[in-house]
Parts: sequence; C-alpha cells; structure tokens
Amino acid sequence: MARMAPGESQAWSWTARGWASRSFLPQPPPPISTVNDAEVSHFSRLSALWWDERGEFALLHKMNPHRIRFIREKVLEVLQAQPDAMSAAAPASSTHIPPSLESPRVLEGMDVLDVGCGGGILSESLARLGANTLAIDASAENIGIATRHAAADPGLTCSAASASATLSFRHVTAETLVQEPKRFDIVCSMEVVEHVDNPAAFLRSCAELVKPGGHLFLSTIARTPLSYLLTIMAAEKVFRLVEPGTHTFSKFVNPEELIGFFTKPLMPGARPWISRTYAHGLPTRIEAEVRGIVYLPWRGDWVLAPRETTPWSTQANYLFWVRKPIE
Amino acid sequence: MRGASSNIRRAVRVACRRRGSPQVLWRYFSDSGTDAPGHEDCDVVVVGGGPAGLALASALASKRTLRGSVKVTLVEGSDLSKIYNWDLPPDAFSNRVVSLTNATLDFLDEIGAWTHVDVERTCPIEEMQVWDGISDARMDFNAAALGISRRGGSNQMARLTETLNLQRGLLRRLREQPNVTLLDNTKVMNISEDDIPGGAWPMVQLSDGVTLRARLLVGADGINSPVRSYSKIDSYGWDYPTCAIVATLLHPPRTFRPNTCAYQRFLPTGPIAFLPLSPTASSLVWSTSPALAAVLTKTDPAVLTSMINAAFRLPEVSVRYLHGHLLDVPSLSPDDLRAEISFREQAHAIAPYSALASANVHPAEAGVGIPDEGAHGLPPLVADIQPGTVASFPLRFRHAEAYIGNRTALIGDAAHVIHPLAGQGLNLGLGDAAALARCIQTAVMHGGDIGSRTALVPYTRERYFENHKMMSAVDKLHKLYASTAPPLVWARSTGVEVLNELDTLKAGIIGAAGGRSSAHSVPGSPWEMVAGGVETLVSGTRVMGAVGTGLRSVAGGILQQLGRVASGPGKDQRE
Repeated sequence: MARMAPGESQAWSWTARGWASRSFLPQPPPPISTVNDAEVSHFSRLSALWWDERGEFALLHKMNPHRIRFIREKVLEVLQAQPDAMSAAAPASSTHIPPSLESPRVLEGMDVLDVGCGGGILSESLARLGANTLAIDASAENIGIATRHAAADPGLTCSAASASATLSFRHVTAETLVQEPKRFDIVCSMEVVEHVDNPAAFLRSCAELVKPGGHLFLSTIARTPLSYLLTIMAAEKVFRLVEPGTHTFSKFVNPEELIGFFTKPLMPGARPWISRTYAHGLPTRIEAEVRGIVYLPWRGDWVLAPRETTPWSTQANYLFWVRKPIE
Repeated sequence: MRGASSNIRRAVRVACRRRGSPQVLWRYFSDSGTDAPGHEDCDVVVVGGGPAGLALASALASKRTLRGSVKVTLVEGSDLSKIYNWDLPPDAFSNRVVSLTNATLDFLDEIGAWTHVDVERTCPIEEMQVWDGISDARMDFNAAALGISRRGGSNQMARLTETLNLQRGLLRRLREQPNVTLLDNTKVMNISEDDIPGGAWPMVQLSDGVTLRARLLVGADGINSPVRSYSKIDSYGWDYPTCAIVATLLHPPRTFRPNTCAYQRFLPTGPIAFLPLSPTASSLVWSTSPALAAVLTKTDPAVLTSMINAAFRLPEVSVRYLHGHLLDVPSLSPDDLRAEISFREQAHAIAPYSALASANVHPAEAGVGIPDEGAHGLPPLVADIQPGTVASFPLRFRHAEAYIGNRTALIGDAAHVIHPLAGQGLNLGLGDAAALARCIQTAVMHGGDIGSRTALVPYTRERYFENHKMMSAVDKLHKLYASTAPPLVWARSTGVEVLNELDTLKAGIIGAAGGRSSAHSVPGSPWEMVAGGVETLVSGTRVMGAVGTGLRSVAGGILQQLGRVASGPGKDQRE
C-alpha cells in the first residue's frame, strides 16, 4: 500500500523515527505558520456545505456526539479523581461547583479553545455544555459560516470576538494566539493535526495554550494500511462520502507518535506530560488516553471503541486526550 | 369543542423566552389575542394535545437533566380544561377506551403520570380469548398461566381505561411541571421557515397573534398533521372498507369469574371485541361494513344489544344473514329480531342452557348459579347500552415516509395510523413519545442541537422499523381474517390451534421475555406473537398452494417465528 518510504522528499518525514528525531531538535525555529494554503482554500470552497448534515460533512456531524462524549467522560473522570484539580486549573472561579454526572453543563465556567473549528460543529456543542468557548480557524470563510450559523441559534450567546460571549469565533491561527496571554482549561483540535504542515510545532502551540492541569483533546487518523483503505480508498474514492483530496495519507499521525511526543519534555527542562508508559506502549489513564472511533456503515453511525478493545480499533480514526501537569 | 364557548378564566403561563430577555409572564387567553409582533423562541413546540403530545411534554419535563435547559410549549386547538375537569359517575364510562401494554404503563409510571390516572376506572386484562368467526379455532392467552406479570406483581397483559382518563391524568401531571407551557384554545394558523441567515427554523403562527420560533417542532397533530405537510413528508396508506362501532356495554356481574377477560371474534366483515372496564361495564369495538355501521348506530339500542350478543355467539352464516336482514329492514323491531335469532338458534340446535343462546335468555339470569355450557369462552350477555355512547369512525392505515424533517419530528397518529384490532395505536404513539424524549435527552447531554438531524436520527432508528413491523402484522391479520376461502380458513385455523396447544412453549417464550425488566424487551402484547405466527402462515400458505402439504411445515414456520419473537427484542440500540 502507499506507505511512505523513509527519507521521501516530504517536508515532514513520517516514519516514527524520523518524526521523533525531527521534532525534538533542541532549537526548532518556530515557524510563522503551520497552515497549509492549499488545504485552507479546499475547505473554504466547502464552507457552504458545513451545515448540511447529509452532505459533505455528514460523517463529521455523526462523529460529533461521540467526540463530546469522550470529552465529557474524561473531564468528569479527572474531576472525580481529583476534585480540586480543576479549581487549581481555574482559580478564577473559586465558587465553581463540580458538575454532577447527569448535568448537561459539565463544562460550566471553563475556558475552552477549539482550534480549527471549521463550521463550528464542535464549538457549538462545547458552548452548549456551558464552556466559554473560543473557536479559531485559519479560514476566514469558515469563521464567517460558523458565526452566521451560531448567530441564528438563540440558545448561544455568540459574537465575532467579544469577551463576554460564551461562544466567539476568531480568524486566527494557534501560532498567533499563543502570543497572547490567555490560556485555556481545555484545548480541542479535532481532525486538524492531519491537515497541518508541521504537526510538532502545531502541537507545541496547542499545548502551550493549555493551563496547567488542563486538558488537550485531539482527534486524527492513524497512518496504517487499514486507514488508507477506509478513509482514502473507501470514503473518498469509492463511495465519495468525503470530497476526494480531503486527506493526505502521509500526513496521518499514529497514536504512538502522539504518545511519544508527549513523553518527552515539550520545552527544555520542562516536565513531560506523560511520565511513563506501560510495556505495551500505552500511558496511564490519568495522564493520557487513546480511544479508537470506528464508523459502522450498517449502523450509519460511529462507535467509540471501549477501552478494553484490541489495538486494531485505533488503526484508523482515534481520539487522544492528554493532561498538562499541574507543575 | 371550540374554544369560543369557553368563558372559564384560565391563567396560562408563558415561559418562552422573548427575544433577548428571558421573562415569565401570566396572560389570560381570551378572544383578545393580538400581541406584540416579533416572535418567542422555544426549544420544543409540540402541536397537538392528544395523549402522545401530552406524554411527550410530560416526559421532557420529568427528565432531571432537561430541567432548565429545554423549554417546552404545547399548542392545542381545543379547550383542554374540559378534559382536565372531565368527570363521570363511577358506573358510567366514555366510549373511547385504550389498552395500555405493560411497557406503556412502565413509561407512564416513569414520567409520574400514572399516579394521576384514576385507577378505579381502569381494568386489568388477565386473559384474552380470540377466535375465528368461521372455524371457531381459538387462541387463549392467560397472563397467569403464561407468567406475564407487571412490576408490582399483578398478572396482567394490559390495562384498559378510557382515553379521557389517561388524558386527564397526563394533564394533571403537566399542571405540576412548570417547564411546560400549555396553550390550549390556540390554533396553529400557519407554519413557515424563518428568514434569519443560517436559520430556516420553523415559525409557528398562532391564532392569538403570537409567533413561536421552534428549535424543534413536534407534530402530534393527528392523521392530517399540518406539521407533516410543513415538513413535506408524504404518508402512504389506504382506507379500510370498514368502520368501527364503539359503545359502552352494560351487563350483570359474572359470578364465576371476574370481568377481566377480553374477547374478540374475527368475523369476515371485521373483528368484534369486548373489552372489560368494570364488573358491570365493558367497551365494544366492532369493525364492520360502513353500511351496517350506519344502520347499527342509528337503530334502537335493544336491536344493537341483540346484534352484539348474536355476533359473539351465532355461527358465521347466521350472523351474515342477520346483517343482510337488518340492511334490508333497517326499521326491524327488537322483538322481530329476537324472534329471528331464536329461530336461528333452533336451526343450529343451540340448546337454551348453552352459553351460545341469547335470544330467550335474560342477561341477569345467565350470570347466576352454575355457568352455562361454554360460558368461559364467551363474554357476558349484554343487557343494555349506556345511552349516548354509540358512535362509529372510519378505519385507516397510514404511515409517514419519514419521522423527521428539517427541525421537525412526528409522533403518534401524525406518523402512523393503524387498524384498532390489536389495540396498539396508542401504545405505538406513547412509545414514540418515550423514544423521542430519550433521544432529546441524549442530544442535550452531548451538547447537541436538539432540532438537528444528527440529534433526531436515533429516534427514527428506534421507532420506524419497530412501528412498521407491528403495523404490517396487524394489517395482515385483518386481511387474513377477512377471507372466507376454505383453504385459508383451514390453514389459519390449524395454525392457531397448534399454537394454542403449545402452552409450555408460549409460557416459556413470554415468561423469558417478561422476566427482563427493560420496557423494550417485554413484548407489546400477545398480539405480537399472534401477528408473527399469522405472518408466517400467510407466506406459508402462498408457497404451498394452500392445501395438503400439511401441518408440519405450518407449525414449523410458527415455531421459527416464535423463536424470532423471543430473541427479537434483545436489541442493543441504546448505549
């Protein structure tokens, strides 16, 4: 299958070894932008279709409840394991009462950043769960679409860039935002890592935006023969569920590469986010977690694989969570 | 039932958010309705105050997780205070009754509505006797013998009550639930899409001048659903060439058994059903030709009484003759009819002490002392009909092609209309309400937009096929029993008799399914089983050329079907 050979003339070498060795040079010059221009224009063209739930982004719409469920589960898990953890992360809201399991507004009072929000599918859900949500995207048209759509919903207090709104959209990149002082309890970047040019730099920006003790949620696609078959061969070429050209196989990221990234210090001398991994390569559940998410065509829906499943469930789409150390 | 006649001063709480500022205000709804222009934003607007609409509103309001986040407004054109204040003496009953399956009862319990239903006016169904009008092949379901029991112990396969008793209970429950705004005497004048960019939400224009902008618009508005038309959802189906006659029947109490058995005889013109309500009152649902229904609803009640008693007892050929006779002589006097029935009984050699005799027996004597021969298999002799309760309505089959549209969802009769022979219509409607409420709750927990397709698809997935199965089974049952062709009668009778003998199998299957506590694993009623067997029979007879190949394959088919019924409900749709 079309697995990239090491040393191919890619800006980024995608073998695990190359990735690791390239990304942790002591002084990588911070790139101006990791955004890929061709990718931005591709999505701008599709922007009008973002909210057609049966169209181009149908699979994404269907995936959304499962992503939110994962976020919900992990946030509650940490809250219950360490009730004071979030208040350490969010000292401003000292009166914040930990939400119960049944409460829909589990993110009440938290500052949440959605990087690469697209049409705002995830951002709107985050805001509905009570989060003060800032959603950013590299495409101005996406921001326009997302703002317009959210404004039609009276349940969301939304504005282009007001501080008081619970949901705001900004046309800005993570690399620019990180220059500002604002940090977040939760940073999400769903289905984005596989579209950027320099994932290591991108991840470093995202990580930097997380408050100590906060969460980073990612979702992406593993670089395996199975994922090529499913996401490119089946979804793009055969069944046309997704616009051809949406995915570039060589840019897919394997779970062990993400785990590897966070096992090393992000800054010289800093504490790594993942302190240890088990023999099978997986981190402890309180530091990071990888969960496969599988689309079952006969059910017409995604299934968030249970924790106990065999590694094959993370061979294609997966969700990744990692928590920043409190220091 | 028009609101204009109502001069009752009713305070209606309007808890919808006006644009911008949330506010709660009290308004008096009267004919002076013109309010400020603009619109009110609502999360869920339910159109229709029938049982399904009320149950949905109540289910949404009773979910703890939805309190404070989902505001519900229910719009009803008629005056609901009439139902709220509905009251009848204990020995009088309204003519529209419903049979609530155990799953439905669990749901009503769960939303806190059952405690508001007057239980004195309900009656458990502990047994069901169903037989073929031509061959007399009989199916007997006994809840105790089959091990069907409801949580709490009583052996019942369903519970009968008046629709109004249920509706009043739901309204009383809603009165306690501040999250729901009830707008009755308010008609929906028009539904259109808003013109807000990125919106296209339904704007519901009400007769009092207010316009509601709905995140989710639910059509619980009946067979000619305006919400369905707005959603551009087609529905397919047909009108049966039959009408149902309903009436409240009065009879003396039975001494040898409580009045908790439902009886149904499948005549070729349609089934006639006797549904117990109290020791001395029962309800009639009789499907028959529109012409006969027209005569029977206008005739002397004594004639109708005799016709009902005869329809349960006389051989089919004589029942057919009596129907023809009455159509020829609509002004037939009660005495002439009795003489005719008496003659027919003699011709069929029905002895006066037999339970099949009705012409010369006084109903009060029939129930006393040693029961007549065969009395167990027949309903008590009807003595009289409660005045003013005879009515008839046409029977239809309708199924919407989809249950969800752009920010709309259909429940109850707006989504499906079914033949009443198995008493499943209302249960399907309440099942819809339960499923939609669950679906909305899940969506809210996941930060979803409850009007979006993504949020609503699980509702369709849970209900559409489930409803369709029951609907087509009931339809086939109706058509199967409408036939008088001897091979078909033989096949259906053999099938039914074989099935009826397999008591342990029946018990095992229903017992196992009923043992599970989830509302979804309990079969809706024994009807599901009957219908399943019948469905196999239809295809079986078709393949075999109807004759001769014998009992073995028919029985085999039924066994197979039973196995499927037993294993069928174990679905894993809910995570």
